[in-house]
Amino acid sequence: MPENKKIMIADDDPGIVDAIEMMLSFEGYEVTSTLTGDTVLNMNSDYPDLLLLDVWMSGHDGRDICKALKQKQETSGIPVIMISASPELKRSAHEAGAEDFIEKPFDIEELLKKISQLIK
Amino acid sequence: MSTDAPHYTILDANKAYLESTNSTREVLVGKSVFAAFPANPTDDVSKNIERTIFSFEEAINTKKTHTMSNYRYDIPIPGTDQFEERYWTTSNTPVFDENGDVIYFIHSPNNVTETYKLAQREKAGILALSNQRQQLYSVFMQAPVGIVILRGIDFFVELVNDNYLELVGKKREEFESRPLWEGMPEVESQVFNDLLQGVLKTGIAYYGSEAEVKIVRNGVLETLYVNFVYEPLIEFDGRVSGIIVVATDVTETIRSKYQLKDAEERARLAVDAVGLGTFDLDLIHGEMITSVQFDKIFGFDEHVPRSEFVNVIHPDDQEVRSKAHQEAIEKGWIFYEVRVVWKDDSIHWVRVEGKVYYDENGKALRIIGTLLDITEQRNFREEQRKLATLVDNSVDLMSILNLNGTNSYINKAGMTLLGFDTEEQVMHTPIANLHTPEDLAFVEAEVLPQVMQKGRWDGTMYVKHLKSGEIFPVFNNCIRIDDPVSGKPIAVGAVMRDLRPELAAKQALADSEQLLRNITTAAPTALWMSDESGDITYVNQTWMDWTDSKFSDNLGEQWLKAIHKDDRKRALNKFISDLKQRAFYEVEFRLNHSDGTIHWCVATGKPQYDNDGNFIGYIGSCSDITEQKHLQQQKDDFIGIASHELKTPVTSIKAYTQVLEKMMQKQGAVREAGMIAKMDSQINRLTSLIGDLLDVTKINSGKLQFNDRDFDFNQLIKELIEDLQHTAGKHTIIEELEDTGMVYADRERISQVITNLITNAIKYSPDSDSVIVRTSVHNSEIRLCVQDFGIGITEQQQEKVFEQFYRVSGDMQHTFPGLGLGLYISSEIIKREGGRIWVNSKVGEGSTFCFALPVNQINN
Repeated sequence: MPENKKIMIADDDPGIVDAIEMMLSFEGYEVTSTLTGDTVLNMNSDYPDLLLLDVWMSGHDGRDICKALKQKQETSGIPVIMISASPELKRSAHEAGAEDFIEKPFDIEELLKKISQLIK
Repeated sequence: MSTDAPHYTILDANKAYLESTNSTREVLVGKSVFAAFPANPTDDVSKNIERTIFSFEEAINTKKTHTMSNYRYDIPIPGTDQFEERYWTTSNTPVFDENGDVIYFIHSPNNVTETYKLAQREKAGILALSNQRQQLYSVFMQAPVGIVILRGIDFFVELVNDNYLELVGKKREEFESRPLWEGMPEVESQVFNDLLQGVLKTGIAYYGSEAEVKIVRNGVLETLYVNFVYEPLIEFDGRVSGIIVVATDVTETIRSKYQLKDAEERARLAVDAVGLGTFDLDLIHGEMITSVQFDKIFGFDEHVPRSEFVNVIHPDDQEVRSKAHQEAIEKGWIFYEVRVVWKDDSIHWVRVEGKVYYDENGKALRIIGTLLDITEQRNFREEQRKLATLVDNSVDLMSILNLNGTNSYINKAGMTLLGFDTEEQVMHTPIANLHTPEDLAFVEAEVLPQVMQKGRWDGTMYVKHLKSGEIFPVFNNCIRIDDPVSGKPIAVGAVMRDLRPELAAKQALADSEQLLRNITTAAPTALWMSDESGDITYVNQTWMDWTDSKFSDNLGEQWLKAIHKDDRKRALNKFISDLKQRAFYEVEFRLNHSDGTIHWCVATGKPQYDNDGNFIGYIGSCSDITEQKHLQQQKDDFIGIASHELKTPVTSIKAYTQVLEKMMQKQGAVREAGMIAKMDSQINRLTSLIGDLLDVTKINSGKLQFNDRDFDFNQLIKELIEDLQHTAGKHTIIEELEDTGMVYADRERISQVITNLITNAIKYSPDSDSVIVRTSVHNSEIRLCVQDFGIGITEQQQEKVFEQFYRVSGDMQHTFPGLGLGLYISSEIIKREGGRIWVNSKVGEGSTFCFALPVNQINN
């Protein structure tokens, strides 16, 4: 089912990026990743089908990135699942335009469920 | 008879003359009369010749008849030279001639010899009687009794002797030769007049014995007692002419008799009055005569045999009695005190005193003596002994100062205080030795005069120790002691307290106060006090230093000025509410220090009560907790950051683990995949612990957030149970759910609580296999209870399980895992949601944890 779907992971922790990348690849998704928020803001082509976005990234607030993406027409349609160790951020994540939120550490099944719901 | 003196010749004589003179006319006529009747030579007293011549001459010269009466002129007896004694009464009558001259005179002697002799005899008789009477009178006069001779119906006092006068206390001149009652009118009305009249009438003597006479003696009315006789004086013809009164004064005798009687009466009365019983014990026969009082003292209403008396003597005192009796015979007297037990079981002390009487052979015959109830005396003695004990054991000096300047008594404490060794020494030491000269002067000038004048003095004075010479202050309370009879002062009683310990205590108190002041000033904590209405009455130097204020700037409610404006109202409201409830006050606030810095403080105050339990205010402190606050913040920040940072590697570990598990499963490495799955569940536990730590730091810093919305309560529970049942192992989670409807709350937080309760229930009931979850609606609450059948919780612990870091302790409890934060977090969540949480539990039977949320939120 997830074939040809491209998911982008943005998190400043390489361990998490690597683990999720491996996990989603294992599930059959095409995965790209970045450790900096700039990469996300600067992408202008080859948009992913879904973005996993960490809230607190070094130097960037994931919510600001999310808002920026949702304001750009090209990227506004990309579903965003925000990830954070702080469940309190769930509301502000939604306010920033994120489609969903998942708390670290998460269960892989839960994440896959959320992803599959957002990627038709 | 011729006038021819000196012859006086007889001219003629008649027959009577011749007969009376034993003569014849022949012999006589012409003869001188003196020749015819010469003088009797044996009669040398009558002077008859001269008297006759004188009478003749008188008659001739005066020409009047001259009479001589009863004179003696003896007549010669014819034929003898003898004379016959004759008495005559003769008249010589002159006869005149025509010229009126006396020519002769008639001499007419009348022989009165017989008459004269008779008269003479009578005279002699009377004289003799008179002499006799005189003698009798003189006997009367000298008689040692009072004698009065009364005459006639007037009781004319004919004679009274000195003894009688002395007896009646009258003077002779006012008593003698007058009627009796004139001499003592005060007696007339008494019985004596009647008695005298009786004797006068009847002629029968009257004897009076110990008669009482009220009489004025020497001007004083007195009562006399007399023995007397009224003896009638009876004349020859039987007529009673008078009364002889013989009286003796027996007043003294009567008086002594009465006095004796009185004395006896008084003695009897005295014996009765002091309640003395008397006894007479016959030692030969053993019989005893007792007085009524004696019987009474022994508790008997009537006389009883001697053995009865002995029987009621207290058994413990029987020996005292028998010993006294044995010794009495030898000593001659008896004395003992024993208890007597009355019929009503009351105890009476009696004292027996007596004298032993012996016969001439020295054999003891009887004991006569008295018996006295001395119960009161004994009790009094006991009281006195107690009083003496009190005085002896008093820590204060007690003394009796005689007016001669020495103490007659000083109690033990006083002797020690002043350095006396013996009581002898006390009595011979003048007070001058117990004071310095200056202090003695004070005592003599101030203390003693005031005691004497006003009856008492109290104040501080100085005394000197006899041995060490130490001079020390005492508080003296002294009074004048007066003789109860004369009312004159006889001594001064004093109670003195050594003031040294008191002064030392005062000094110690002052030192202690100084110390306290130093401590409170030095304390790094502010201290305060308030009165019962909450007005500040004290702050210490520390507070004043912090706030750079004066003491007076903080009184009442002024202390609030120093508090940060944002905290002021909260601090005051808390104080007002705690004050109202008399509760322990505790509040944290920020304080504006004088240097402009802001410090966090925790103020606490403990309600104070006086001895009667009345609330009198608060005593409290105010500690600077800025540093703690800072550390707390650092700790919370650290835990927050640490937990957050921990989550990052855990997230990747978990992701790797899950990928690995999937790979293993795909490769068919079922056993490996199982191990990885276990690893994943351990990671979940770690995640949960990190989550708890994060929640606590959020709760502590007030940052726990809630996203309240409506959700189906039972639905949530079903979902949770479904999930939890997977990890519940052998436990079956039983649902007993009533219809609850929707709840308005933070679904995630509520599920956190429910999860916590169910996992706890499973964790603490390792030996059972079921947990029951119930929901219900009560009144305006929706309720959830989780019941287990595990180890249970003691009652004391039940109150604490909802506290932070609390873990049920006990033999095995430490072996259960966890940080002890779950229930604290659950309780905080439920409280923030406006509900309540509680537990019912019994050790060994299990626990039921419940929470309830307000139902009004259901419909929102």
